Amino acid sequence: MASTYMKSVASLLAAGALLMGAAGASAAERVKIEWWYAISGKLGETVQQLISDFNKSQDKYEVVGTFKGNYEETMAAMVAAYRVNQQPAILQSAERGFMTMLKSGAIIPADELMAKQGYKIDWSDFVKPVAGFYIVNGKPAALPFNSSTPILWYNADAFKAAGFDAPADTWQGLEKQLYALKEKKVTDCPMALPGDFQWSLIENYSAINDQPFGTKANGYGGLDTEFVYNRTSVVGQVARLKKWIDDGVLKIAGQGVAPISLYTSGTCASIINSTASHSAVEADAKFKWSAAVMPHEEGVQPKNSTIGGAALWAIKGKPEEVQAGVAAFFNYVAQPDVQEWWSKATGYVPVTNAAYAKMKLEGYFKDHPTREVAIEQLSRGEPTDNSRGFRFGNHNQSTAILLEEMQAVWTGKKAPQEALDSSVKRGNEILRQYEKLHAGK
Amino acid sequence: MPASSAMRLSEGAATRLRFPLRLKLGSLLSSSETGLKASHFRRPWLAAGLLAPQLLILLFFFFIPTWKALSLAFVQVDPFGATMIFVGLDNFTTLFSSPEYRDSAVLTLWFTTVQCFVTLFVACLFAFATDQVMRGRAIYKGVILLPYAIAPAISGVLWAFLFNPTVGPLAQILDELGYAWDPNRRPSDALLLVSVAAIWKHVCYDYIFLVAAFLAVPASVIEAGAIDGAGPVRRFLTITLPMAAPTIFFLIVMNFVYGLFETFGIIDVITHGGPAGSTNTLVYKVYQDGFRQLDLGSSAAQSVVLMAIAVLFTVLQFRAVERKVNYQV
Repeated sequence: MASTYMKSVASLLAAGALLMGAAGASAAERVKIEWWYAISGKLGETVQQLISDFNKSQDKYEVVGTFKGNYEETMAAMVAAYRVNQQPAILQSAERGFMTMLKSGAIIPADELMAKQGYKIDWSDFVKPVAGFYIVNGKPAALPFNSSTPILWYNADAFKAAGFDAPADTWQGLEKQLYALKEKKVTDCPMALPGDFQWSLIENYSAINDQPFGTKANGYGGLDTEFVYNRTSVVGQVARLKKWIDDGVLKIAGQGVAPISLYTSGTCASIINSTASHSAVEADAKFKWSAAVMPHEEGVQPKNSTIGGAALWAIKGKPEEVQAGVAAFFNYVAQPDVQEWWSKATGYVPVTNAAYAKMKLEGYFKDHPTREVAIEQLSRGEPTDNSRGFRFGNHNQSTAILLEEMQAVWTGKKAPQEALDSSVKRGNEILRQYEKLHAGK
Repeated sequence: MPASSAMRLSEGAATRLRFPLRLKLGSLLSSSETGLKASHFRRPWLAAGLLAPQLLILLFFFFIPTWKALSLAFVQVDPFGATMIFVGLDNFTTLFSSPEYRDSAVLTLWFTTVQCFVTLFVACLFAFATDQVMRGRAIYKGVILLPYAIAPAISGVLWAFLFNPTVGPLAQILDELGYAWDPNRRPSDALLLVSVAAIWKHVCYDYIFLVAAFLAVPASVIEAGAIDGAGPVRRFLTITLPMAAPTIFFLIVMNFVYGLFETFGIIDVITHGGPAGSTNTLVYKVYQDGFRQLDLGSSAAQSVVLMAIAVLFTVLQFRAVERKVNYQV
């Protein structure tokens, strides 16, 4: 009796040890690569798909992706983690955080990492607007991943009902159309204000209309850049948006409601939002939806819009085998096939010429014309200092201030000029603080 | 802070419990040595051991964070910690001269005060009515206590959705009634929404304490009042309320603490401190500036200011408790 009892205990123990041994072995086999990303919903599902595809494609590394909130939240989480040495190996960081990440001292430049790990990536193959932003002095600091730009989404049924075939090219023309949509009672909400409107309706507005956002070529020329958008046609743009809001033509979604869902549900007839909304629109919109390039001011020759979205950064302070895994993952992501799949699944623009050419060749854009709108808009005209992009230190911070000041305009607390002056002044304080902390880097 | 009054409430229970406990600890506790208080520890390690959990909690949740905040409040630092420049009191002078900070301070004072007294008033009404409710008293109490079981984030999402001007059903009713409700564009609407949500969430807390306090009023006193011809309202105002004064005072302090520090979740979900900072209370601003904008120096300076306020409240409460706003029978 006692001996059988002992036997069964022993066998149990043995089984336990075996199990634990097996678990230990499989964990040791694969090196875990932590990746913090910042896109959710349908896009987040696609990210998880990408990760599981990579994990299946090889047996040395296991990428573990964690959603850490929106871009700002992810960045904040990264900063907090870095200070206590708990950082991930890969971070997805938005274009807005580019300077901050570049000079953070916390990253390994992408080209350095790839060269060291023995991968060859043809950096010259990245499409021009993407390369123009992410490549500094001929070297890419991060791997361009999800690149987007804001485009004008519209409800073709609603526009038709009001007698328009397509949205107008200019803001002036679009204004007439939106007011007509409201007056003809086609819809109560002609347009929804996107949550990141500072990106589309102010920064990209500046680029398209060739207006400087800051001095020194929007920060490309040095840390001593200053904001100047309170002295450009942005003032008129903000006044126009305020008028639209007051007249009920432009609606603020508010907390708890994603602005894009006002469009996909058919509540609002248009929205200027990222081309990456394709994944949500294609899945949810039950009307005849379409997209067009963003409008420009009357009498202005429109320039290219700027690149948005995010890049993947390799973070310092990880053991060699993890860095090798990061490089392997970067290499995987940069493959034309993967690029093409990612672009098709999400609506982000293909970031390499190879992927773009491939999609074009197979006639993808003929079947999906709205997928090419962003590319067309990104390559419109010859880029100038005003349209190349934005490189400001701590741009998250100055953006938050700009948003707050814009809310003061919407609430009527401040006039557009007053709010923009204050926003520029407060933003410049941040730039000076950043310059002071990063002098000589 | 609440410990002192909680202790007073449960004093009877403690006396009953203490006896068997003392039997077991008899060998460790000495009451025979002269010149010492009734009980003391002969072996210091036992005292240290018993104190340790509390001291550890204090260390990790108070002293270390305080040290961190203090060490960051006097520097400007790049978020990644690569560069740090000592700036003396710069963070504080910038803070106090910033109109945004002053606005936030005024807002916080206003919000906290209104929230405190409205919560107390509503809870008082409900507690008074508890005695008058004859049928379904359990249901009545249950309904009032329900909000306490809902996480702030979830209740925040509900409030935000119900009153969303574009899709919210209650906002549409307001709209039909002719009130152009829009918390995204009208700071007063946003503040109202946050205040109502905060009060709704906290009424039940005050209610529990008040019902208990009103029950503790001896029936004989109330009956005496009734015999002398005082109606229920008069009895409530002149007998029950004064006798519940210690509880009410305790609740005032607790409501202030709640309004100052614990409405974070509701604000974060309903308004994000907007529009244009109109619901950006001091605590929310610490989070906004530190964790979203990564301005760690300013955020640390703000939390030092908040700590000073918290200390002030604690002192106030201890003093008031010592004075005993009290009518013991």
